[in-house]
Amino acid sequence: MNRNLIVALAATLITVFAVSMAFAMGDGNARKGKFLYRKNCRTCHNGAEAPDLSPADRTQAEWKATFADTGKIKCSGDWTVNEKDLNDIFTYLHDYAKDSPSPAKCS
Amino acid sequence: MSNPQQTMSRRDFFKASGLVAAGAMGGPALLGGLKKARAAVPAPAWDSKFSACDICFNKCGLIARVEDGVVKKLDPNPKFLKSRGMLCARGNAGIAQVYDPDRLKHPLLRKGARGEGKWQRIPWDEALDMAAQKMEEVRKKHTPCGHLFSAGTDLHSQFVSRFAEVYGSFNVTSHESLCLVSGNRAFLDTYGEVPFADVLNSKYIIMAGANRFEALVTPDSMDLMTAIRDHGCKLVTLDPRYTKTAALSHEWHPIRPGTDMAFMLALAHVIISEKLYDPQWVAEKTYGIELLAEHLGPYTPGFAAEQCGIPAEDIARIARELAAAAPASMVYPGRRTSDYEDSTQIRRSFAIVNALLGNWDKPGGLLAARQVGLTGVPYDAPWYDENRDDRIDAHKVPMMFEHEGSFVVTRDAVLNDDPYPIRGWFVYKTNPMGTAPNRKKTIEMMNRMDFVTVVDIAMSDTAWMADLVLPSQSYLERTDPCSGLQGSVACACVVKRDPVIDPLYESRSLFDIIKGIAGRMELGEYFDFTIEEYRKQQTRDIPEALKVMDRDGVYYNPSKVYGIYDGRIYKTLSKKIELYNQRYLQMGLDPMPVYTEPARTPANQFRLVVGRDALTTQSSTANNSLLREFEPSNTLWLNTRAAEGLGIRDGEKVEVSSSVGRQELAAEVTDRIRPDTVYMLSGFNTLSSMQTRSHNNGASINELLEDDYDAVTGNAAMHTTFVTVTRKVA
Repeated sequence: MNRNLIVALAATLITVFAVSMAFAMGDGNARKGKFLYRKNCRTCHNGAEAPDLSPADRTQAEWKATFADTGKIKCSGDWTVNEKDLNDIFTYLHDYAKDSPSPAKCS
Repeated sequence: MSNPQQTMSRRDFFKASGLVAAGAMGGPALLGGLKKARAAVPAPAWDSKFSACDICFNKCGLIARVEDGVVKKLDPNPKFLKSRGMLCARGNAGIAQVYDPDRLKHPLLRKGARGEGKWQRIPWDEALDMAAQKMEEVRKKHTPCGHLFSAGTDLHSQFVSRFAEVYGSFNVTSHESLCLVSGNRAFLDTYGEVPFADVLNSKYIIMAGANRFEALVTPDSMDLMTAIRDHGCKLVTLDPRYTKTAALSHEWHPIRPGTDMAFMLALAHVIISEKLYDPQWVAEKTYGIELLAEHLGPYTPGFAAEQCGIPAEDIARIARELAAAAPASMVYPGRRTSDYEDSTQIRRSFAIVNALLGNWDKPGGLLAARQVGLTGVPYDAPWYDENRDDRIDAHKVPMMFEHEGSFVVTRDAVLNDDPYPIRGWFVYKTNPMGTAPNRKKTIEMMNRMDFVTVVDIAMSDTAWMADLVLPSQSYLERTDPCSGLQGSVACACVVKRDPVIDPLYESRSLFDIIKGIAGRMELGEYFDFTIEEYRKQQTRDIPEALKVMDRDGVYYNPSKVYGIYDGRIYKTLSKKIELYNQRYLQMGLDPMPVYTEPARTPANQFRLVVGRDALTTQSSTANNSLLREFEPSNTLWLNTRAAEGLGIRDGEKVEVSSSVGRQELAAEVTDRIRPDTVYMLSGFNTLSSMQTRSHNNGASINELLEDDYDAVTGNAAMHTTFVTVTRKVA
């Protein structure tokens, strides 16, 4: 019983932490983010070197989770973008996610 | 004429060739049958070339019969499943559009006052230099967002969006905010995508405000006929007009305009209170059933009866019949939804009834989009730091579609420089002067502009008010990119167009025109390709498609039709079908549709409603010589009893007045419309005298319509205008 409670509590705390981390990002400039995404990310995420990526590949919650700890993103070691630019890119991906009000169309 | 093939009816022909059965299945099964049927026809003297129709948005496959470089006849492509191998009257009349003597022939520069109709012919180089120079000037003075771009439904329109983006403007509007964006919004916000209706396999269809046997949508129009004639489907139509769809329906209810939501909520009320839904499916697939049940309490059939003018027992019976036929039953989603200020919420009520029927992703229900196999062609648009933050119409409604915009909201913003000025406008193959409500405001908008460039095949009213008019090629003269189409249950397919004839006059394709302008603005690198190269990129995942299209005029991707969502989440916040929309709540919108009674028609006035017949595509068919033979002008549909009260006889000229305009036309006194409602076709009485068949002919409906809009999406609300009708004394 106690063990279950601890697991549940830990899970809740992790969720709260993840959500609060995610909320630290957002409200950037999605239009600038689209430009920065094309410039910085699509050079590899072009379907050849790395999988093609579209905001509509994931839900808003999934993008938040992905960007909650960018260290876990495989290519993050190669990134050269600053925090502001990264936030713009996140905002673009999040705001045009597959469950967003305006899911991205192809290209 | 004694050829037995020619005396066969189309239906017999299809039966003989196995097309009816094969059409229902999709795929290549029909091809063998067709070859056999066609083998009996002797080879004609003409060249036969594939294309896709462009007289409306449907893009039906066709075969152009060409003799000595001249199109003699347009026939349907029998292998084109989306149109069930057919081509409609408008499609046949495409030939009159291509060879219309009123077509634009060379670049024209305005010489007199705007709209005065004085033009000077100029050479192409001068025209492109001028367009580029004026666009540069606007950008320099007003930032890139100081220029507006508008494009209609066309395979080249994607290059207008690309041009706007590389120029740096966020301000792009399409025709869709005068048409369907609120319906799309409603279904997207319920299901996570905009569905296709499997009318062919449906057993019970409610057609509310849509007129599918006249305003043709392929394959729905044909499939609906097959469903009611051959498959025993029951069709119930709600419409203030006795349309041809109403005439062919099992039941027609002349509903009071603007009350469809009350009807739908009452259907939902009966289905839930009598437990006529599949509880397991609803529990697994939908979100908010308890909240909905509570919300629907007051929306009884009795309540709806008072609003709609349809007896309560009929509403309850229809709900029971609809549910009994579920999941092979539906409330047809419809296409144009630009009617009321709550048009998104009205269509949410349609979507919710469908959800209760459990028809999603199932035969006879609503279908998900299928993969066609085309891929996007990416490009890297530049970034301009010296630019506005957002679109001019941003934040004025909560859920506008970024890539469609709202024409009506944009126009108001332009008129008020709110929050910034727009002084340039590039328009391709769309005619807001002839299609947007309140024409005087569109004229005012034109007058705000420093420079307007219009690319079209005809001198539309928008072109008539422009500074520079550039003649584009018709669909039979040009090379087009590939386009993916879904024909409901019929197919998911790809089409392209290649020139059937040489370009007439000095016309050029939109792509070549933009390439010319962009090249003069140091944006040439974004258009440094040919359409053939572009198509290769589009089809890189389906490399066989181009050859198949050359052979058959169409390429089919045999993807799954039903069960696409098995094991998949819905693209909504709850990952389920949202009876209750959580995002709406967060945004301060009603999470479930709340009915507001439409304004009562004032005494001695009428509600003016918009509609189509099978000979009309917005304003673009009004000058078509073949179609005008069938329908020389537009008339005002006026109920017999109402006409008697006003002392108006059939055929007499009447004056129609609204708060924004006044027009004159002949009255058509008829029982085919409610006594409180009037109707006329659009596209007539053009400003442009270079549209000789529509200028000074009939009345312009958009001169009369007020310009309200849907509070959620900014879609135009074109059924909110009341008019007075008086006999015109000679």
